[in-house]
Amino acid sequence: MIEKNPGICPMLNASSGTAKNLIEKIKSEIMRNSLVKRDLIWLELTGCSGNIISLLNGSNPDFKFLITNMVNLIYNNSLMAAEGEAALDALVNKTGSDYILAVEGAISTKNNGLYNIIGRWKGEPLTALKAVQLLGDRASHVIAVGACATHGGVSAARPNPAECVSVQSILKRKVIKLPGCPCHPDWFLGTLAHILLYGEPELDDRDRHLLFYSMLIHDRCPRRSYFDNGVFATRLGEKTCMFKLGCRGPVTRIDCPVRQWNSYVNWPIRDDTPCIGCAMFGFPDSMEPFISYDTTRKR
Amino acid sequence: MAKRIVINPITRISGFMEIEAFIENNIIVDAKTEGLLFRGFEKMLVGRSPFDAVYFTERICGICSTAHGVASTMALEAAMKVIPTEQGRYLRDIIHGCEFLQNHIRHFYQYTTPDFIKLPENYPLYVTDHNDFRLPEEKNALLVKHYFESLDLSRQAHEMLAVLGGKAPHNHGVFIGGITTQASTDKIIKIKSILNSINQFIRDKMIPDAYTIGEYYQDYYHNGGGYGNLLSYGCFNNYAELGTLYVDPLAYKDGSIRPFYPSGISEEIDYSWYSDDTEPYMDKPKAYSWVKAARYYGIPFETGPLARQWLSGEYRHGISTMDRTIARVLEAKKITEVIGVLLENITPDVSVQKEYSIPEAAEGEGLIDTTRGALGHWIEIDDRVISFYQIITPSGWNLSTRSGNNLKGTAEKALIGTTIQNSDNPVELGRIIRSFDPCVSCQLMYIQMVGI
Repeated sequence: MIEKNPGICPMLNASSGTAKNLIEKIKSEIMRNSLVKRDLIWLELTGCSGNIISLLNGSNPDFKFLITNMVNLIYNNSLMAAEGEAALDALVNKTGSDYILAVEGAISTKNNGLYNIIGRWKGEPLTALKAVQLLGDRASHVIAVGACATHGGVSAARPNPAECVSVQSILKRKVIKLPGCPCHPDWFLGTLAHILLYGEPELDDRDRHLLFYSMLIHDRCPRRSYFDNGVFATRLGEKTCMFKLGCRGPVTRIDCPVRQWNSYVNWPIRDDTPCIGCAMFGFPDSMEPFISYDTTRKR
Repeated sequence: MAKRIVINPITRISGFMEIEAFIENNIIVDAKTEGLLFRGFEKMLVGRSPFDAVYFTERICGICSTAHGVASTMALEAAMKVIPTEQGRYLRDIIHGCEFLQNHIRHFYQYTTPDFIKLPENYPLYVTDHNDFRLPEEKNALLVKHYFESLDLSRQAHEMLAVLGGKAPHNHGVFIGGITTQASTDKIIKIKSILNSINQFIRDKMIPDAYTIGEYYQDYYHNGGGYGNLLSYGCFNNYAELGTLYVDPLAYKDGSIRPFYPSGISEEIDYSWYSDDTEPYMDKPKAYSWVKAARYYGIPFETGPLARQWLSGEYRHGISTMDRTIARVLEAKKITEVIGVLLENITPDVSVQKEYSIPEAAEGEGLIDTTRGALGHWIEIDDRVISFYQIITPSGWNLSTRSGNNLKGTAEKALIGTTIQNSDNPVELGRIIRSFDPCVSCQLMYIQMVGI
């Protein structure tokens, strides 16, 4: 991309490129009728169901474009019209055919998975654990969406009362990981677009999509000059570096500084708060305390 | 002999629940609402930094995360004896109002309307298992159009939230003292502009759409009533200069409205999967849900938009399935007006943040009405870390289990007595339950009995 646009700032490129470019490509593929819609199953498991809400916040592509032009959304608890066993029909009948599986939420393993029942099939409880086992192996691709699915996240926070684990812990196959709390709609839609067009995207050694997860927040932080010059905020609301308030930007790999959130209007650091490392493995336990007043002082 | 019906999953809610109902001569004679997700937030919070409760508890719920941020912030402020400035309150309440709008628009269009309108069945997502769709073709088509249009508006509601809150879901803006950042004029005008579009949509489309559904499903004004006890902790209220813009803490029972007293709140676990020492215990006889039973002086109460509209005198048509939905869309309009007033009173560029320190030991409560109803957070701090945390969610009231005195939960009671047209396709159950806007990721947490 940089080669194609000499003279254009790589930081600007990173935000305007990526998901949007992939979607433009999809649009042209659709115009030529060369893109075949694939089936998508979106499971909500042990979590807050906030990633599907975040997906609804997607703009260009938006949710309507997703279900109209990219995929047949076969199952999603928050949005599907059917209920009860009729809703589960769509899931259970899917196991023999081609589909992409997206999972949000961790998998509770306590008591054989009974701490999270997502439906009842022929009288038997369908646990989150069983659903992932049932659908995980045969999917063409599995995408773990958000912190709970990628590594347990808040659902597995100590002492992990529901004994939650990541999707990968249950499946012996490649799981594409999109950590974040929640997952930004572009991270998911851009990854999905890549799968539809070219197959599996380029991943790092922890199976994150490199397009989004290659650089540290710290490396592209607009407040980096304050860090370099040792000018640190002592309370929230200040416009300088929040390293001493506990900012996790220096250890968090994600493109928030250039992408931003919610139709690209803002992001936590611009909101005068530290990054809490929600897109990093280990969130939340190894990213806390989220906010502390001068980490270099003894409490 | 009664026929047993089980619906699981109840889709188009946040989280996981099952309804078990017994039907005799086409009438529901008994019902249980069962919450089927346990994560144990209250146990996780022990030992963490009190400041972290705000962002941590937001993760309880993906659709109403701001509600938890607000309640935990209020509990922290009480514990730390921080009194937010009026500007701080205005700013925080604007963010909270944006969450109301996001939630209500999505709940009405994405969660409620598929019960009553036929969405295009060439999308697998919209295939249904019943055929009780009564709107004439052209009206159905109009609501389908609005279903898709609404996606832009709910997205924009989160966009305006993010203008002050950094991002959504799980915003960073709500914090001790009000919010973290300052409202500069470019932000204020951006919010005003989005608010204007949302207000028009609610006024011209959402409210008429709700009444259209009501017109063709008149019977739903006559089912789903339940106990008829209503409760609110209050919200957008008691400002020093602006007074109460929406509703004060009030309770309605037996035809009269009285002030609400927090000391009347209790929580029972007789029918929930917890042992007496508050550990998860799924083998417990009689128990059928992770949800506990929130009670006010031992009595089940309904909480949420209808309760608030009723208690504030904005809407008193009735207490039923359809009235709940009408009240929700009317409330959305009300919230746009409240945000409008708060915006008019914002002084630009005011910072409300200080350098806070955590007390050695303290306790506090945060009670606030949020999108789904009355939400309470209680915190205790010892040795500068959280030593105890307790959360009672709106769904702990509305979707509660039976209590020790065998009084059924609010939604259970609302189901009982309903006439089922076709017991092979009991569409009535889901419609009644969804009118409460259940949030079952919310309500399922670790319990500790406390003398609140």
